[in-house]
Amino acid sequence: MANYGKVLISTDNLGLVYKLGRGNGKRKSGQASTLTALHDVSISVNEGEFVSVVGPSGCGKSTLLYILAGLYRNTSGKAYIHGHEIAGPSLDRGIIMQAYALFPWRTVQKNVEFGLEVKGLKKKEREEVALEFIDLVGLRDFADRYPYELSGGMKQRIAIARALAYDPDVLLMDEPFAAVDEQTRTLLHEELLRIWEKTHKTIIFVTHSIDEAIFLSDRVVVMTSSPGMVKDEIRVELERPRTNEIKSTPLFGSYRNDIWRHLQSLTDSTREVTTMQGRHILGAVPQEAVI
Amino acid sequence: MEHTEKKQNTLLTIYQKSILIVVIIVLWIIVPLYTDNIYVPSLIEVLKEFGKLAATGELFKHIGASLKIAFIGLAISQAIAIPIGVLIGWFKKVDTYLSPLLVVMRNTSILAILPLFVLLLGIGEVSKIAIIVWGCVFPTLINTIQGVKTVDSNLIRSAQSMGISNTGLFFKVVIPASSPYILAGFRLSASIALIVLVGAEMVGAFYGIGFMIFNAQHAYMIPRMYVGILTLAILGVLVNLLSTKLENGVLRWQESNTNAV
Ligand SMILES: Nc1ncnc2c1ncn2[C@@H]1O[C@H](COP(=O)(O)OP(=O)(O)OP(=O)(O)O)[C@@H](O)[C@H]1O
Ligand SMILES: [Mg+2]
Repeated sequence: MANYGKVLISTDNLGLVYKLGRGNGKRKSGQASTLTALHDVSISVNEGEFVSVVGPSGCGKSTLLYILAGLYRNTSGKAYIHGHEIAGPSLDRGIIMQAYALFPWRTVQKNVEFGLEVKGLKKKEREEVALEFIDLVGLRDFADRYPYELSGGMKQRIAIARALAYDPDVLLMDEPFAAVDEQTRTLLHEELLRIWEKTHKTIIFVTHSIDEAIFLSDRVVVMTSSPGMVKDEIRVELERPRTNEIKSTPLFGSYRNDIWRHLQSLTDSTREVTTMQGRHILGAVPQEAVI
Repeated sequence: MEHTEKKQNTLLTIYQKSILIVVIIVLWIIVPLYTDNIYVPSLIEVLKEFGKLAATGELFKHIGASLKIAFIGLAISQAIAIPIGVLIGWFKKVDTYLSPLLVVMRNTSILAILPLFVLLLGIGEVSKIAIIVWGCVFPTLINTIQGVKTVDSNLIRSAQSMGISNTGLFFKVVIPASSPYILAGFRLSASIALIVLVGAEMVGAFYGIGFMIFNAQHAYMIPRMYVGILTLAILGVLVNLLSTKLENGVLRWQESNTNAV
């Protein structure tokens, strides 16, 4: 498969413990006052690699991305970028959040220019670069619109354009396509892969959809919850460029099986047998596996 | 036809919006002619007086004096309320230190403060401006605090992820994100400025609309008193119109639920 350069971003026994409550320590007796969101998470992502993270809700996926983005401080272990410990946010990493987080008072154009303003680019240069990336996500006609005038899929594309515009080395994406319909999502997948191949970014992609993870990634990291840990990693050796048809190949199916089994054993060990599993015949995997 | 239907609709809303006011105007013209109560002159008489006062320029002298004070007071109050509101909303410490005092001040009746201000600052413009400042600070202050405290944390994180400085965050995210609150506070303050002003002018003044009303009442110049009241009503409506326009202009980026057809 693809050969990638050296390690770009990595974690070493990373952990994060949240303090609960409003910091005054007044909690009902018996309730824990801390929550271990991440425990001993060690991952390593190479330059240009596309890695997905899947895992049950609440297993710490967003928390992990926030730490990598420099927005949250880990409470144990280390996180590195370019071999240096991550000390805070920086333009070498771009995060695309679960809820788009576009600035509603800025037009599409001005939203995409935001990082460039922070970077200190001149007005004219800013406008050119922003337009280039608005073009890249196919929304040139909407450059002067405000976010409220856009659909969910368009907002997501603008959030991607905004993150790409200031040219980070790593894109951290938190369930970016969770809120769009199936058809739009398929389109956005193809678009994202096209952009990825064109820009050679390193991407860490959090998702609930197993199919999405396999379709997009070179590698899928499976996480477990309470506390959030890495359960396993699956290397996806499907040929690129990938098209939608690949989802019905036996190889794709076996990856789906693999990941599903991991997640299933994980729910087995952490909870009572769930009704969800009861509905499936042992070993069979739903076509569109979503966790 | 869609076009004529739309036209009919606008006609209907104009009718719905104005019918009550029109009825009152008509009643105000007709009823006094039959009741013959000197305290309720017909609108015609009031308008005649209005014309007279406008022709001599006296009315505009009063309006000018009032507006000048209202404007200065409003400007000062907003210049105090917005920065302090932002600081209280953003810094927990400032909030802890200032809020109790502000709660006390806000809940002290402005009518109780007014005589004190007159004593301390005299019956000139200064005491009037001071009382307007007092009255106009709190709506904007409270709204600004609320606005800053409720800025979407995703937006803050998003900006921080792009390595923005703290000052940048303040001006590029916190202020614009809370601007709907700040402007709503401003609109409230603008109408309060006029209301408080009239009170101040009634306590001690030699000019201004409030003085004109008060003075006319004392001298039994009833139509003249109504001219003052009418002028104030018109000014109030104008101020509201202007501040709403400003609000809509600045907040173009907000989805308004009247856009849906
Ligand atoms: N600011 C916070 N304070 C306290 N606990 C938090 C905070 N943010 C998240 N948590 C807790 O940490 C755990 C991990 O949360 P996180 O948002 O990282 O999960 P996630 O895997 O992204 O979930 P989802 O798939 O639902 O988005 C959860 O149990 C959550 O309740
Ligand atoms: Mg999440």
